[in-house]
Amino acid sequence: MTLAETQALLHAAVTREDGDRSLEIQRCFTGSPELTAAERVEIYADMYLWRLVDALREDYPKLAALLGDERFYALAEAYVREHPSAHHDLGRMGVHLAAFLRAHPDPGRPDLADLAALEWARSEVFFEADVEPARQDALTALPTEQFLHARLRLAPAVRLLAVEHDAVGLWRALEHADAVPPPAPGIQAIAVWRGGFDVFHTALELDEATALESVASGDPLARVCAAFGRREDAARAAFSAITSWFDEGWIAAADGPR
Amino acid sequence: MAFPRKYLGHGVGLRTKHFASYLAAPPPVDWLEAISENFMAPGGRPIAVLEKVRRDVPVVLHGVSLSIGSVDPLSERYLDDLAALVRRIEPAWVSDHLCWGTHGGRYVHDLLPLPYTEEALTHVAYRIEHVQERLGRQIVLENPSSYVAFKDSTMTEWEFLSELVSRADCGILLDVNNIHVSARNHGFDPYDYLAGIPADRVAQFHIAGHSDKGRYLLDSHDHPVPDAVWDLYRAAVRRFGAVSTLVEWDDHIPPLERLVEESRRAESIESDALAGDVRRALP
Repeated sequence: MTLAETQALLHAAVTREDGDRSLEIQRCFTGSPELTAAERVEIYADMYLWRLVDALREDYPKLAALLGDERFYALAEAYVREHPSAHHDLGRMGVHLAAFLRAHPDPGRPDLADLAALEWARSEVFFEADVEPARQDALTALPTEQFLHARLRLAPAVRLLAVEHDAVGLWRALEHADAVPPPAPGIQAIAVWRGGFDVFHTALELDEATALESVASGDPLARVCAAFGRREDAARAAFSAITSWFDEGWIAAADGPR
Repeated sequence: MAFPRKYLGHGVGLRTKHFASYLAAPPPVDWLEAISENFMAPGGRPIAVLEKVRRDVPVVLHGVSLSIGSVDPLSERYLDDLAALVRRIEPAWVSDHLCWGTHGGRYVHDLLPLPYTEEALTHVAYRIEHVQERLGRQIVLENPSSYVAFKDSTMTEWEFLSELVSRADCGILLDVNNIHVSARNHGFDPYDYLAGIPADRVAQFHIAGHSDKGRYLLDSHDHPVPDAVWDLYRAAVRRFGAVSTLVEWDDHIPPLERLVEESRRAESIESDALAGDVRRALP
């Protein structure tokens, strides 16, 4: 067999692709009285799945706790079959799990995809680049006539999510080992960020989430502030929100008009 | 030609469980080995810890995803990330495994063995040269533990490895535990393996524990180093001299103090083995 043929065979066997390869395995690999060639290949196949399931469990601890070992293993096995790892970092393997859960929803827990999205965002921000957060002075130092034309830039370790259930409440219950609440439908906006080496998240008012999305899109502050237009005191609400973004370290830079 | 050996002393693997200890004080060992892929992200705690310990002690980067033996093209994205990490950390050397782990662009995240054939030799030697050109430095390759052997192999693993490092002009990370595990699983004499390795290519030793599954040994890195591996390590020191040695412990990881204790035992065995050589050399 060529090198390419042996690798195709072992890969198919280790990842348990469909099909009977027993004759090819006997032809390719050496067996012994203690272990047949097929049993030797199975050692790798068992380790393959366990390794990937463990990696997913590390990135999705709340989802794993909610489902329990058996259901999480079944989910992970189905996911790995549809989304084998395509990145050299094993920690990136779970990138499609929320989408997978949306495509294959659990009838009893339609909120699993949202919990997964929150956990993945927490995992991502943990490894994002460190930047010195901008100080609010960077904004207040701008001439008044430039203020509404200025643009903010979000720090790399900030993620904005929009989910369809109360993922924050579910995450909190699992974190504190409280009784798991039933799925609570309703649009929820969430900010996830890293402060120092710690990861945080919080639910946002929907208009504040719209404003942050506007920041992420590179809009000028005039458009960002317009998101608060339905508040009774829109200007104060916008100022308060923007101040809190600086305080939390979500803003990497405040740039004057281009 | 040879691989210029740097003797760093006795080290341990840099693992998340011990991050707090390393942030609080300098590492209580001579050097540390970091799994390259775990530190390729641009920010966060892992890379901050690695940069901190790098200021305290030498660091070696040890990869698991290079997939040097695969018939897939080498991943330029991976090499970019590795090159960036090498520039950032300035490791004493960079190592990976004599194995493959990708197929059709998919990663199995395992160290799959190669058939020891002339075709594989030519293929892997060419790829090592490419990697060394990309990184601007020689690399070091580790002998894997394995559970399967190929009927097409025309040479032993140690013959393959020795010829490979000569052709590609790279170094060897001799994993003593892996020799022991593979020897048991495939029925060869581990001391023949040591005897067949060229001393001037050996850059580093790994020692570790494994699990006895009855019909085979599993390279699990979840136990103390067993006596049989210590014996083989002693023989390796006698054969190759003082070589930078690292204790691997990757599952059921003990407190740092226990890991350091294992590293100190390696130091003591090395010292005794080298002293024995001196005594034998006396008239």
